[in-house]
Amino acid sequence: MKILPSLLALLVVTPTLFAETLKINGSTTVNLPAAEAAEILRVEQKMDIQIDTQGGSSGGISMLGDGLIQIGMASKPVSDDDRAKFPKVKFDEIHVGQDAVAIIVSKDVWDSGVHALTKQQIQEIYESKITNWKDVGAKKSIRIAFFNKEPGRGTWEVFAHWVYGDPKKAPQVSFPEVGGNEETRNKVSSTRGALSQLSSSWADGKKVFALGIKGDDGKVVDPTNENIANKSYPLSRPLFLLTNGEPTGAARTFVDFMLSDRGQELVKKHGYMRLKDLGK
Amino acid sequence: MTRALSWFFSFVALGAVTLLVGVFVWQSLPVWHHEGWHYITGTKWFFRQKEFGTLPMIYGTVIVALIALVLAAPLGFGAAIFTAEYLPRRVRLAVKVLIELLAGVPSVVYGLLGILLLRDWIYNLFEKFEPLSGDTLLTAGVLLAVMILPTIVTLSDDALRGVSSAQRRAARGLGLTHAETVLSIALPQAKRGLGAALLLALGRALGETIAVFLVVGRQDNNLPEHVFSLRAWLDAGQTITSKLGGSETNIAYGDHVHWGAMVGLALLLLIMTGTVTLLGTGFGKRSDA
Repeated sequence: MKILPSLLALLVVTPTLFAETLKINGSTTVNLPAAEAAEILRVEQKMDIQIDTQGGSSGGISMLGDGLIQIGMASKPVSDDDRAKFPKVKFDEIHVGQDAVAIIVSKDVWDSGVHALTKQQIQEIYESKITNWKDVGAKKSIRIAFFNKEPGRGTWEVFAHWVYGDPKKAPQVSFPEVGGNEETRNKVSSTRGALSQLSSSWADGKKVFALGIKGDDGKVVDPTNENIANKSYPLSRPLFLLTNGEPTGAARTFVDFMLSDRGQELVKKHGYMRLKDLGK
Repeated sequence: MTRALSWFFSFVALGAVTLLVGVFVWQSLPVWHHEGWHYITGTKWFFRQKEFGTLPMIYGTVIVALIALVLAAPLGFGAAIFTAEYLPRRVRLAVKVLIELLAGVPSVVYGLLGILLLRDWIYNLFEKFEPLSGDTLLTAGVLLAVMILPTIVTLSDDALRGVSSAQRRAARGLGLTHAETVLSIALPQAKRGLGAALLLALGRALGETIAVFLVVGRQDNNLPEHVFSLRAWLDAGQTITSKLGGSETNIAYGDHVHWGAMVGLALLLLIMTGTVTLLGTGFGKRSDA
């Protein structure tokens, strides 16, 4: 168990012998567009960039705190606890996009009249207390085929965070699991009574349909760009690049690229919302 | 000199295997300490509650491989008898090359085909039994059957061609028909080789990851009351490989016991495929004697 971390440490330390290596680490969600941006900058600007996802968002925050990397990637804001842990570090959060999670269903469910669920209903489905669409307003009896996003995926974390307040408090369940967005959409669209969590930009409204969230007041909020932007749709989270103070040098170049039109296109390509979509 | 070198390389290979097993045992120690034998007999895997029972995954792995074997064996033997006993030499080689090409198709390609064709086919074909989706143990088994078929065909073909043609001529001379010669001379003589073909194919089926990963459903803790109940094959399940291929390895990293549990799964798989492969090679060898 000790060997692996020290090997990893070695991998991280060795390149510091060469000047100007930009090191980035953190969330796998942010990594998707960021890794592609790094690839472009490597080719076009001959920059030396190392990008990794050790430990996800928390890994990004703590490694930036320890000064091991110049840019951290996080799909959550830096908490006060984190700031207290690294008092000397001035965490700078650079918003590069937004990830919204839609609760999606297959066509037969949509056609049977289920267009929205309450948080309570979603929780009971997750805990297998509700197993038929009829119990949540469908016109006919259809069994719920729930495809759970793999725990550890960003999408699942957003979902669990919303339903249970903290992903660690989510009960452990045994459902068929799905991984990538393409797989999720494919499996939901081809299965009767299917339900899953999916990045909202992948919910096309043709093969799979995004449910609205019904609040306590009975008002339904759909995952539209507008509702995500004004935060009335609850299942979303910001994607951040983190730096210690204002980024300079290679880090500046990278951040600027992510904020440029080309960088923002990468954000969109991987299923997230651009700053422009948020009205920024 | 050649001899010394060959000793040296044999030791390198042996050392590598020993080191591999050693690292796996060492890294999985925490979970053995934590669960004991319950690690193998336990039926619940809830990592946040620190419960690590692998029996449903062992069941999934074995069942999927068995389904594949049962489906692929008759087809494979039939095809091998055809290529080895009935096809003229030139055509046989051409067919064999094609079949061996099939064996080289990357498994992710088979997996995608499985998602595109097989999932929906199984889902609709067995609609009466109300499978919850097309991701089932049976889907994975059928897909694996397609994948191990080339292995069975080509190895069985070799085994049949290994039977001396003098024996075939003698049989024909005694008045046996072509079919009788195949059934009572070639097949019995090649039986060790045919058995080895099955075992090696089984080894491949047990270890196949990505294709199974895409169609098995990856549902934890699914252990039916009746292990050989056909209905249970229409439920989603989890195999050792689909578990290891998932994102849980990333979560496990950094937690001694959880990481140990994942490495332990790899160790179990290594033991299973290793045993089957060793049996298969040993089985085939003795047929030459």
